[in-house]
Amino acid sequence: MRADQICILDVLHQTMADGPGFRTAIYCAGCKHACKGCHNPQSWDMKNGHWVGVDELLEEILADEMSNVTFSGGDPMYQAPAFTLLAQLIKQYSNKTIWCWTGFTYEEILADETMSQMLPYIDVLVDGPFILEQRDTELLFRGSPNQRIIYLHGEPPEDIIPGTVKIEKPR
Amino acid sequence: MVKHVIKRDGRVVDFNNQKIVSAILKAMDVTEAGEDIVLAAKIADAISKLDVDGMSVEDIQDCVEMELMKSPRKEVAKKYIAYRNQRNLARKAKTNEIFQTIIDAQANDITRENANMNADTPAGMMMKFASEATKSYVDECLLSNDVREAVAGNYIHIHDKDYYPTKSLTCIQHPLDKILENGLRAGHGESRPAKRIETASVLACISMETVQNEMHGGQAIPAFDFYLAPFVRKTFEEEIDKVSAYTNTDYSDLKPIKIDDYIKRDLTGLQGKDRAVQHAVNQTVSRVHQAMEAFVHNMNTIHSRGGNQVVFSSINYGTDTSAEGRCIIREILNTTYEGVGNGSTAIFPIQIWKKKKGVSYLPEDPNYDLYKFACKVSARRFFPNFLNLDASYNQDDAWKADDPRRFEHEVATMGCRTRVYANAFGPKTSIGRGNLSFTTINIVKLAIEAMQEEQDKETRIQKFFQKFDWALDIAAKQLNERFDFQKTALKKQFPLLMNGLWLGSEKLSDNDSIEAVINQGTLAIGFIGLAECLIALVGKHHGESEEAQELGLRIVSHMAEKINGFTEIYKHNFSCFATPAEGLAGKFTKRDKKTFGVLPGITDKDYYTNSSHIPVYYHCTPEHKAKIEGPYHKYEGAGHIFYVEIDGDATHNPEAIMQIVDLMDKYDIGYGSVNHNRNRCLDCGFENAEKDLHECPHCHGHNIDTLQRITGYLVGTTNRWNSGKLAELHDRIVHK
Repeated sequence: MRADQICILDVLHQTMADGPGFRTAIYCAGCKHACKGCHNPQSWDMKNGHWVGVDELLEEILADEMSNVTFSGGDPMYQAPAFTLLAQLIKQYSNKTIWCWTGFTYEEILADETMSQMLPYIDVLVDGPFILEQRDTELLFRGSPNQRIIYLHGEPPEDIIPGTVKIEKPR
Repeated sequence: MVKHVIKRDGRVVDFNNQKIVSAILKAMDVTEAGEDIVLAAKIADAISKLDVDGMSVEDIQDCVEMELMKSPRKEVAKKYIAYRNQRNLARKAKTNEIFQTIIDAQANDITRENANMNADTPAGMMMKFASEATKSYVDECLLSNDVREAVAGNYIHIHDKDYYPTKSLTCIQHPLDKILENGLRAGHGESRPAKRIETASVLACISMETVQNEMHGGQAIPAFDFYLAPFVRKTFEEEIDKVSAYTNTDYSDLKPIKIDDYIKRDLTGLQGKDRAVQHAVNQTVSRVHQAMEAFVHNMNTIHSRGGNQVVFSSINYGTDTSAEGRCIIREILNTTYEGVGNGSTAIFPIQIWKKKKGVSYLPEDPNYDLYKFACKVSARRFFPNFLNLDASYNQDDAWKADDPRRFEHEVATMGCRTRVYANAFGPKTSIGRGNLSFTTINIVKLAIEAMQEEQDKETRIQKFFQKFDWALDIAAKQLNERFDFQKTALKKQFPLLMNGLWLGSEKLSDNDSIEAVINQGTLAIGFIGLAECLIALVGKHHGESEEAQELGLRIVSHMAEKINGFTEIYKHNFSCFATPAEGLAGKFTKRDKKTFGVLPGITDKDYYTNSSHIPVYYHCTPEHKAKIEGPYHKYEGAGHIFYVEIDGDATHNPEAIMQIVDLMDKYDIGYGSVNHNRNRCLDCGFENAEKDLHECPHCHGHNIDTLQRITGYLVGTTNRWNSGKLAELHDRIVHK
């Protein structure tokens, strides 16, 4: 796996369903969590995606002045080095916020040397696997209540979204 | 000697002997004895020598009958009478057929023309009967020949044609302060000036409900916050008096005290005057909230017009930065967020947030907190929409931040998009003015004709512009003719409207005609289907091709320029309109499909695209849509709207609404709003945003009500939509 390319399914522009406000959503390919009831199982296999350079993605993201950024998939954590690079560049060239969806828990990511590299550049992490038995369509930005919306840095907004968790800056 | 004949449609033609002769011969033909040309000529001759100048067709036929009865050929008279009856029946049959569908409460495009009206109720049926009958009267008796032909040819559409004979005007922005300060007289009741918020809000309802029956369009309040703010203060003073009486302490010196913000707070720990003031504030906020609730409830339930229609009501607000004005804004927003009754989304009034830098938009603005709240409310309840006072064409140099009547220099809109602002014959303002009538041009048909007549692109475009100029001239002529008819109405025909509400009307006496004042209104020429028009001319619509966008702007700017010219020529306020065309969406298309067949991208759907919009089926980002549609707004002085279809559950994404307003700011867009799905279970009250929801996930009921927007208005159930609009809804896709 290369650190300067990401295997993606699709890039959505100015979507309003992948976090607050307008967002450029990078949907990557590849996921091994195999959650029962996954709404997008074709995203599990990297063969369904195509490789795009991090620089190319960065350019696409920066071209949209209004939108913030969402990493989703698939699970971006399986391509952590490339996503880390992308996130780092986004922070270097803009003040866009980054929301990242993952099937790993925050604690699992913290404990992993590679995945945890990404955390300093992510603003909000939506973590944990989808549990079909707990499915609740009324939850905002989440499929099941075990998942958490974690503000990794700074204060969550005043109008707090249910399920939001504030966490100290990771070491 | 009879010189002329008055035909059934009112036209006068020269008397012609030969027509009588041939009608008699036709009747003779079907008798055993056959034709008798000498007798026929003798009867015609006798009639022509009658001592009158003109006769109606019916009179002539009566004479023919009498003469035949006096003649030896009485059997011809019988045939003649039978033939005459048959023709009369045929003439009526079409109307009867339409009446029958109304009686049977059938769902068709006649009974579904207006989604706000319930044509199945007795009052609704009565409206439809009248409406269908007047339409043919207008065609036959009120339109001039070339106009009638343009209508029959599907080139132009006269809006609210059923109201044409009543001489009614379309709509008005109510100067509500006049009603609140002077009281009003409506029906059998007379009201005194308002003294408290409850009365003020009820008078606002009555004003709109009464005037709606004197007009055929919507009713709006241009500065809801400014008008009601003084009554927040009066309510507060009333509460101070109550505290004084209750505590047996004179607190009257507190009445003029400055309140920073009317916010409810716990009284614990407060003593003396502080406690008295806070208590009065708390009571005031509760009363204002209830008054706003009552206002919204009233606007959604009182069927003040036939057809069980509520008022097409709109309210504009957001720029009053006084504590009292902010209290009104906050409580109308709170009420709207909570919903009416058991929490249903209120369909009326359409609410419009006036977005203005320095006042109600930027983080440092005094009403920024309320703007943010407005976005949150809009995410959940579709309203408020957003009116961009900062757009280049919406600004007014006369606006001064410290002018207590600065709202007179703020543009206001009708919720549906109708905009009245520029004025060649009086003050530039929206208040006390409105539209007089609308006529829409079918630019798609003109483009199809040009496409079929010319192969070469440039020649084709030239040809289109020639045809367009012809249609614009006809539309202007027609509006001018209607104006000449409207102006003959007397002031007394509009008891409230022309009693001070309409600009300048107070100076009229009861038997004066309204001619002197209606030049304050506007005559609007609209267009529909720019997208299809462009496909016919250059093969692509403006969302997908720069060439098409360039031509689109050329077409609409040309239209605006030509319409400005009409203002000079006819001495009326003409303006260019981005037609919403609720009832028109399918009408033009259906007929053009019959004439031209199914043309890909043009007549292959059941509707034409709304005004200068990008087609609803076209996939693009909100920003692309804004970038393409924005530049048209400055030409569309009679009204325009920008929509974004939102994906996901917008309820949770007020930031997205704020960014859509940012787009409006960036691309000089005048008026805009978001569309999203909102389902509500009528059994348990559960709400969500899922597409095509048929079963409630909570109570498993199937009584699901789906809200959507139609020409700016919300419609509680799509059951009342006409076929063109339903097809358009089906094709709508979200923008991302």
